[in-house]
Amino acid sequence: MQAETVIDVRNLSKVYRDFWGRKKVQALNALELNVRKGEVFGLLGPNGSGKTTTLKLLLGLLFPTEGEVTVLGKPAHDVTKNERIGYLPEESYLYRFLNADETLDFYGRLFDMPASVRKERRDELIKLVKIEGARRRPLKEYSKGMTRRIGLAQALINDPELVLLDEPTSGLDPLGTRDMKDLIIRLKEQGKTVVMCSHLLADVQDVCDRIAILYGGELKVMGGVKDLLESQDETQLLTSTLNDEAIKEVEAVLKKHGAQLKQVAHPTSTLEELFLRTVKESQERPGRRFSPGERPGQSDSRPAQAAVKS
Amino acid sequence: MFEANPYNLGWAILQWVAALAVSGILALLVGFVISYLALGKKAPAAIKDTLKRGFDDLTKLSGRRIGALAYLALKESLARRALYVLGTFIVLFMAANLFLRTPEQDVPAKPYVSFVLTVVQWLLIPVALLLSCWGLPADIKDRSLHTVVTKPVRRSEIVIGRMLGYGLMTTMVLVVVALFGWVWIKRVVPARSQAQLISRVPVFSSADDVKDAFFFIDRAGNRQQFAVNVGDIWDHRSFIEGQTNSRAVWQFENLNPSRIGDDLRIEYRFEAFRSHKGNVDEGEGVRFRLFFVNEAKKLRVPFPQTGAGVEIREFTQETVRGATAGTEEEQAVLRIPRELRAEVAGDPSATGEKVDLFTDVMDNGKLQVEVVCLDAGQYVGAARTDLFIRLPDRPFAASYFKAMFGIWLMVLLVIMIGTTASTFLKGPVATLLTFGLVILGSPLRSYMEEQYTDRYQKGEVLGGGMLESAYRLVTQMNQQSPLPENFGTKTIQVLDEGVFSGLAIVRNVIPDFRHFNMTEYVANGFDVPFNDAGAAVLPSIMTVLGFFIPCVILGYFSLQLRELESK
Ligand SMILES: Nc1ncnc2c1ncn2[C@@H]1O[C@H](COP(=O)(O)OP(=O)(O)OP(=O)(O)O)[C@@H](O)[C@H]1O
Ligand SMILES: [Mg+2]
Repeated sequence: MQAETVIDVRNLSKVYRDFWGRKKVQALNALELNVRKGEVFGLLGPNGSGKTTTLKLLLGLLFPTEGEVTVLGKPAHDVTKNERIGYLPEESYLYRFLNADETLDFYGRLFDMPASVRKERRDELIKLVKIEGARRRPLKEYSKGMTRRIGLAQALINDPELVLLDEPTSGLDPLGTRDMKDLIIRLKEQGKTVVMCSHLLADVQDVCDRIAILYGGELKVMGGVKDLLESQDETQLLTSTLNDEAIKEVEAVLKKHGAQLKQVAHPTSTLEELFLRTVKESQERPGRRFSPGERPGQSDSRPAQAAVKS
Repeated sequence: MFEANPYNLGWAILQWVAALAVSGILALLVGFVISYLALGKKAPAAIKDTLKRGFDDLTKLSGRRIGALAYLALKESLARRALYVLGTFIVLFMAANLFLRTPEQDVPAKPYVSFVLTVVQWLLIPVALLLSCWGLPADIKDRSLHTVVTKPVRRSEIVIGRMLGYGLMTTMVLVVVALFGWVWIKRVVPARSQAQLISRVPVFSSADDVKDAFFFIDRAGNRQQFAVNVGDIWDHRSFIEGQTNSRAVWQFENLNPSRIGDDLRIEYRFEAFRSHKGNVDEGEGVRFRLFFVNEAKKLRVPFPQTGAGVEIREFTQETVRGATAGTEEEQAVLRIPRELRAEVAGDPSATGEKVDLFTDVMDNGKLQVEVVCLDAGQYVGAARTDLFIRLPDRPFAASYFKAMFGIWLMVLLVIMIGTTASTFLKGPVATLLTFGLVILGSPLRSYMEEQYTDRYQKGEVLGGGMLESAYRLVTQMNQQSPLPENFGTKTIQVLDEGVFSGLAIVRNVIPDFRHFNMTEYVANGFDVPFNDAGAAVLPSIMTVLGFFIPCVILGYFSLQLRELESK
């Protein structure tokens, strides 16, 4: 059963041009992506790989050079789709002369929300992102993490169905990062769709259902986090501590099925390993792109040292 | 000041529609060419889509969102210290006190009034420019606009919201400085000159054809548009000779006796020209007499009814009036009672039948007034605006606050243009462009009109247009000698014609800032007219309204069709 598609990106390319229309950067190249309703989707890739560009194209902030983008069933340039979207930009681009209350009230009004609803939402969100103590101070006095928090509150003001987070944890303290992860999981529980870019792979691994890895504007890997990190042709045993003698006997024991088995699983690599591997492969073999059905990391090119783990 | 002709509203609206239609079609053509080059076959669909979206975005506006964006612009102006201008204003006035405050002397009120209005105007224009031209580019550069446009905000709302916010800000500043200026004038103008602070309400002669509103009758009794030229370089006044048949005729229409009051007040400012000294020893000047004429009834009612007539002050009216209090005599006002006696034809000394000026002489709101010179060999010089009926005066506040209203409208126009320019230009360039329009819109505009479009059309430009004069320069040809009748000449003339038509179009697209400048009226003790082709309330309002719609459309499309990445 396929869930409803929330974001559909087809053959999307983006070329940044200078004032005279000369090509500066090919930021995206024939990107194919889809995000399903209710999932947390991670967009990964090294710096400058086109993650932010992708989000901006989804929001209609940039116009595609080629290809099509459909978000919540509407073209990217349709402003009415924004009613159901929340966006946290890479840096919180907010008005520095407003305070937190005014900021949230302002964005609430942009959603045409009546005053009573705005007030309720505002109080709720300020509590959620834990900036109660600073709500009446202008944003220009905020620290980076605090700005991030108010930025997040702003993104959630309309109780969006689709939340786009560009590096949500950048600038946050460990507690804040924890809260952010909890929040994303809670959003998922509420049935919302979340798309996030992040460089914190451990966090992505914890919260994302599916990921895509971009390199140089091209999609290199896409799939479920579990699927991508599992190795189907091997089995991993996790046992209590064994002495040398016991280890020698393992093979025999296994044959006899006598050992105390604590866990049997496919060995999983960490997302970090997958990420580094993908980037390395992309550098070594440029031009090779992800195509549906393929399971990168499982292919022939998989480095040997990653195969066994005890 | 007064053009003394009504603003042609219908014509203005017609020109507006035409200009809008022409620029709309031009924009569509350019858009089509560009998108065809970029998109090829997909261009028509893209254009259709853009227009459909544009229609939605320009019609389905949300008041709450516009309000929020206006509030934002207001907050931003405050953050950018727009209120500092109030401080500047007060400092300027304290400095002015030192120079202008001379309560002992007989100084006219005029410089005080001009000072206030000029300062208010030239303080608010920079404020309007700085706010409107720099706000959006800064917003785009900081990318705070990114966060806004990812909300369900239509970009037209951004443009309107900004205009509104800056408008509110400058309105607040203007209200404060206008009240401050008012109190200042009332306190600082010397007591003896306070009487000059009035709003005179003139009614000028008028007719469907301006030629009927004012003309001359020459010695032979023939109607002429001009009378004797006494060699004055200012040719706007013509002169009538004393003790002859010649006279100047004003025709008023649409007069309403209930608005005139009990007596008819006529103000004049004639010029005397002497061909001999006359009885200068006795202090006698050149004299004139008025006649109220109803030709159908063959009624001629003189004023003054008998005696030597009215003497023209031979110093310029300005200085005389400026230095003295505002009594009617000093203002050169004739107060004419309704009950008069008509002239007995051929016998100036006899008293004729009793007539009522408003019911007997005036016909359906029409009144003909003639002026004759009484001294043989002397001349009275007059132009159309040299004689007018004065309705009851209004308080000085009427003209003062109307002029402030004019400044307010002008500042709104500057804000609208500035905001629009800032949607596609960076701050400094947008400021230059907008300020350029303000300059082009007033003094240069007059110059363009006089020198090129109008005069060229009348064939008054010597040596022809741009190309023709260039040709004459190169061939060292005299300005007046005719060009050879050949194909080349024709081509040159057609091209020149084109250049001038182009100028005429440009002239119509540049806002006419002269409509807003009402300072002269207030300073000279006139009420600001509602409807006049010069500076007046109605054309000011129409200019602002007329520019609002194209500004919003242009601003919208330039935000909509552009990625808001800062470059
Ligand atoms: N406004 C712009 N003008 C020109 N080039 C740009 C612009 N924005 C991004 N780029 C280029 O496009 C490419 C992709 O940039 P993008 O911001 O999408 O990367 P990213 O994946 O978000 O990187 P990061 O992890 O550093 O945030 C980069 O090469 C970048 O230099
Ligand atoms: Mg980025």
